[in-house]
Amino acid sequence: MAADAPSDAPILAVENLVTAFRTGGGWHPAVRDVSFVVQRNETLAIVGESGCGKSVTALSIMRLVPQGNGRIASGHIRFAGRDLVDLPDEEMRKIRGDRISMIFQEPMTSLNPVLTIGFQIAEALHYHRDMGRAEANAAALELLDQVKIPSARQRFADYPHQFSGGMRQRVMIAMALACRPELLLADEPTTALDVTIQAQVLSLLAELKSAYGMAMIFITHNLGVVASIADRVAVMYAGEIVELAPVNELFARPTHPYTELLLRSIPRVDRDASGLSAIAGQVPSIGAMPSGCRFAARCPLREAICTTRDPFLVPLADAPDHQVRCWVRSPPAEAGHA
Amino acid sequence: MLEPVLTVTGLRKFFTVTRGFPRSRTVTVRALDGISFRVRDGEAFGLVGESGCGKSTAGRAVLRLVEPDAGEIVFKGENIITVGKERMRALRRKLQIIFQDPYASLNPRRMIGKALIEPMRVHGMAERAACEERAKALLAEVGLPKNAMMRYPHEFSGGQRQRIGIARSLTLEPELLVADEPVSALDVSIQSQILLLLQRLQERRRLAFIFISHDLGVVRYFCQSMAVMYLGRIVETGPIPDIFKEPLHPYTRMLRDASPVPDPQVKVAMLRIEGEVPSAVAPPPGCHFHTRCPHVMPICRTVYPEWRQFDDARGVACHLHAN
Repeated sequence: MAADAPSDAPILAVENLVTAFRTGGGWHPAVRDVSFVVQRNETLAIVGESGCGKSVTALSIMRLVPQGNGRIASGHIRFAGRDLVDLPDEEMRKIRGDRISMIFQEPMTSLNPVLTIGFQIAEALHYHRDMGRAEANAAALELLDQVKIPSARQRFADYPHQFSGGMRQRVMIAMALACRPELLLADEPTTALDVTIQAQVLSLLAELKSAYGMAMIFITHNLGVVASIADRVAVMYAGEIVELAPVNELFARPTHPYTELLLRSIPRVDRDASGLSAIAGQVPSIGAMPSGCRFAARCPLREAICTTRDPFLVPLADAPDHQVRCWVRSPPAEAGHA
Repeated sequence: MLEPVLTVTGLRKFFTVTRGFPRSRTVTVRALDGISFRVRDGEAFGLVGESGCGKSTAGRAVLRLVEPDAGEIVFKGENIITVGKERMRALRRKLQIIFQDPYASLNPRRMIGKALIEPMRVHGMAERAACEERAKALLAEVGLPKNAMMRYPHEFSGGQRQRIGIARSLTLEPELLVADEPVSALDVSIQSQILLLLQRLQERRRLAFIFISHDLGVVRYFCQSMAVMYLGRIVETGPIPDIFKEPLHPYTRMLRDASPVPDPQVKVAMLRIEGEVPSAVAPPPGCHFHTRCPHVMPICRTVYPEWRQFDDARGVACHLHAN
């Protein structure tokens, strides 16, 4: 499939991505200096609160940033060795839905209400794989079985409104997986679902991911979901990655003050009520980003340098795969790093 | 043992819905199929369940925002279902609600000050100037600046709007607050701010809460006891620590074990996918949960389990725990 890159290279490498939006007359970056890689067969979770840039990162990879008011301002998105940023639209269309696909939070608004479920799944196969109607339908039916839609054959010609929320999300997964993508972007796929249905969808995703050997970027605001599905985690705050680490490392040793406080502000279902801490203040708005560290105003560890100079994402001395953007907790090794 | 401030017995509410086109048919949604529970003085009582289980209808029925079909709601010795209009209006002062969506529950054209003062004027609590002072004090109590009085809802963030909603619910000095998913629309860091605020208010004002939520972590943190609902009925009640330690109903256990925990060492139950989740339009015969229950027995498919009360607080409706 990916003859254009050696198989041990990461399937996706995002380098210094900046995606900007036009608000109030000026261009403001919603995503700033974001870099990460995703290996084949790996799940990277991107976690953060509303407006932190996690969805914009995914839309940038899909090249679905709304034209006109949004643009990828700089950086590279290397997918299987090719830079998607300056790929012609025609080429991008061939990749989108075939080698990279995406599932969204609200399955009802992302399914076409006047087309049957079966048609919508078969469409991708028809388009990308040049399959005939009968062949595509047979493959679509198999996909419905794989996502465990009961009596798939009878439900094949049903419309989205005849399905429950959990089943619609499984249909979305079937659509996304139709062409056996190498990379799946899942943007809050379980947020609108009840907790028991969420558990079902998460286990289905994990199962299919390893069956297909695909890479997955899982976007969520829920650190509990991150803990159960991710291999590595990127924590985003105000458009930047503030911490990037393997999942066990991140939860055992949250190092950025934001990550640490966030973990302490979640009421846990597995513990009796204990101290809950809150993060004072709120996220700065996109048009009024402070200079220096963007979390500084809410940070209990703030020092003078934090409000004047931008911190870098720096690997910890004893854990090179654990990177933190913080002057206090993870200062650059040598002075004058800038 | 503290006295119950609210006792709900056999509360029932069916909705009829017309569905389908071109040949429509009328179906009955059994939103509340005879639920009973008690809220003690100063206690936060959690009402838990997944979408469509009837928890929000229950909260609204307690305030008679939806008129129940049957049942009793006794608030401090008075059955509020049977009291007259005048008396109900007076009782509404004592029973207030906080809604989930802070965007939808504030009038966008009304300044915050007016939204806070109006209920006090309607209930004739004080003169205009005194009302204004009280409104300012309430804003301070929920952590908003005084100048919020002269501003409109759109000028505030989601968390701030929820604070306004809380301030408004406190204007009439209520004794029981129904909080319907008050933190579900908020980001994690804001959610904890609001939870801490509600907790402070509960302690300071000795408020009783009916706290409606789908998030078991939040309920475990905030409440002292809870009831778990499934398709219009309560399947288990009890004190928080007991329920979480040893859930009796398999549904309670499933909810607890499926709730994600922010710790990769704790593996969340991976649930298999079984058919379709039934709805309150057509609940299955017998125990409503039998179609998803890992411990289903023949009797579960035909007979709805009787309620079994273990002690003052703990009770369950499940054939596994039958007398």
